[in-house]
Amino acid sequence: MKKRLLAMLLAGAMCAGLAACGNSGGGSDAATTPGPSGSDGAEAGSAYTVDVILKTTASEYWQYVQAGALAYMKDNENVTVHVKGAPSETAYQEQLNMINTDLGGDYDGYVIAPLQAEMVASAIKGQTKPIVAVDTKIEAPEVISFVGTGNESAGALGGAAAVEAAKAAGWTDIKAIEIAGVQGDTTNTDRMNGYMKGIEEAGGDFLETEVQYAEATATKAVDAMNGIMSRYPDGIAIICANNDDMAMAAAKAAKDSGNAAYANTIFLGFDGIQSACDAILDGRLTMSVAQQGYEMGYESVAAVVAALNGEEVASFIDSGADVVTADNAQKRKDTLQGYLDSVK
Amino acid sequence: MTKSKKKGNFTQLGVLIALLLLCAVISVITGGKFLRVTNLMNVLDQTAFNAMLAIGMLLCLITAGIDLSVGANAVFCSCVGGMLVLRDVSNPILIMAIIIVCGTLVGLINGLLLTRLHLPHPFVSTLGMKNFLWGMALLVTGSTMVSGFPEGVMLLGSKTIGGVKISFILVVILYIIMHVLLTRTALGRSIFCVGGNPEAARLSGIHSANVLTFCYVVSGFCASLAGIITIGRTSICNGADAVNPYDTDAIAACIIGGASFMGGKGTMLGTMLGALIIGTLRNGFTLMAASSAIQNIVLGLVIIVAVFIDVTRERMEAKARRLAAK
Repeated sequence: MKKRLLAMLLAGAMCAGLAACGNSGGGSDAATTPGPSGSDGAEAGSAYTVDVILKTTASEYWQYVQAGALAYMKDNENVTVHVKGAPSETAYQEQLNMINTDLGGDYDGYVIAPLQAEMVASAIKGQTKPIVAVDTKIEAPEVISFVGTGNESAGALGGAAAVEAAKAAGWTDIKAIEIAGVQGDTTNTDRMNGYMKGIEEAGGDFLETEVQYAEATATKAVDAMNGIMSRYPDGIAIICANNDDMAMAAAKAAKDSGNAAYANTIFLGFDGIQSACDAILDGRLTMSVAQQGYEMGYESVAAVVAALNGEEVASFIDSGADVVTADNAQKRKDTLQGYLDSVK
Repeated sequence: MTKSKKKGNFTQLGVLIALLLLCAVISVITGGKFLRVTNLMNVLDQTAFNAMLAIGMLLCLITAGIDLSVGANAVFCSCVGGMLVLRDVSNPILIMAIIIVCGTLVGLINGLLLTRLHLPHPFVSTLGMKNFLWGMALLVTGSTMVSGFPEGVMLLGSKTIGGVKISFILVVILYIIMHVLLTRTALGRSIFCVGGNPEAARLSGIHSANVLTFCYVVSGFCASLAGIITIGRTSICNGADAVNPYDTDAIAACIIGGASFMGGKGTMLGTMLGALIIGTLRNGFTLMAASSAIQNIVLGLVIIVAVFIDVTRERMEAKARRLAAK
């Protein structure tokens, strides 16, 4: 008897959990009638359901991409957009599961931000519905377009800007060290290559052997920064980090140490999220290079819909990148908040 | 004997009911999308990796141990495959054989650390092993993503027989073999005995060190197969994958299926049902477009509830024994 009670308890807990996530799912996607949506599409000929699978939805940057995709749905009544993402940016297999699951679903087209591009390329083999890659390129004939800047080109842009800023700050020997994310992660590698390219081309010196891996966390970035300061007591011109959290943490560690040689160091973050804008305005971070997540989300859904309508879609849609400095941080912050507000 | 068997059946019945209820709820919420054949096959495909890891985990749990290195071992094994591809090895049989040897060897080391070097609870040593393997996975591939595996290696994780992935069929076969081993052989009974009462096991002449080592070797072997499955599914390998909590998923599958951290309990069927519950949940998240935050919250809650049920079950059985003794 008690066994049965326990069984019921277990089942009940799971159902409650599912009901909870069902509700919140309903909050973020407007499709409450899954059955008829497919047949509607067939009748009207212009009602589409687009599936957007992002790297994750659990970070501010990806929320902007999500906001952009959902904004398209808001602007176009005949388009329904479902946004989802893996639990973290290293959960490749989980994302693959999502893609496999949804390829068998009622969607008219797909937007995918691949965690591992080659993995996704083999998963979508043979698909005939329009697929658009966002943020990270997928080399596959099934993919009709890539919307994004690429981490590498954005990194190069930021690296070059950091070198200019270092020159302006009075550095003559411009050495740069990166505090990186998870070793082996594709995004991490791309950003590193971008930084290296941008810094070296602008006349700086990227110390490749000194790259510190901090697993993309602020705590480990502090440790890494302390290590850098011990090794280079005379200062380093540029500390570039794989994300804003780590850049801010490194800047804080340098300030706390009281080492005057690091007073003019350029701390360069990546993503340009709101808290980074605040930090730049307060002088806690020098600059951040930002990809335009909102535009990416919006443009990628637009590209899928255009393809569904039989229109020509460019194979590469540049969503642009921007360097956030003290001059434009306030403006960017307001814009970002506007994006988040618009989909609430 | 028959009484305890009945008990086991009751637990499994509970898990089965939970699984069916879960399927029903997801089907209703998704408007039947869940029940499509292609989707159900996806669930099986997605479950195979975790179910494979759960085999070894269950054996370790039955002996009141744990193997926290299974996930990292699987990733390490896939990266060993990647390393061979980078070195232009193209014979699929050779690649798979080396992968299996590596994974099994890791399991053997885990077992020897516990039984011959007498390290304390395997929690510590296998956790150390997890980090070691994570690092090794990055090292052997030079921290890069590797693709371009020969078709033969990918067969297991990518091809289907009658619509069902070969990986899942292999999992089912292994579960049947392990079920027979656990319930019908002397070795199986020794495993339960070592977990339930080590002193009694020693007194009855069971060589517990060898039995324990066997469990960790099986765990390593299954992890290597899981590594081959993941190569086939993803067509790539990447050491950074080791950061993911595959071990907790495997533990959760075992515990939901009726295993206990106290050892001496657990069935293959229950574990399979547990793995299917987790697979179904994750599939449901995708169908419902649940946010990453919700996914983590619900999975975390399921694990906590499963452990809570384990503890409660334990307490109630102790009470039942006391009452029976009166």
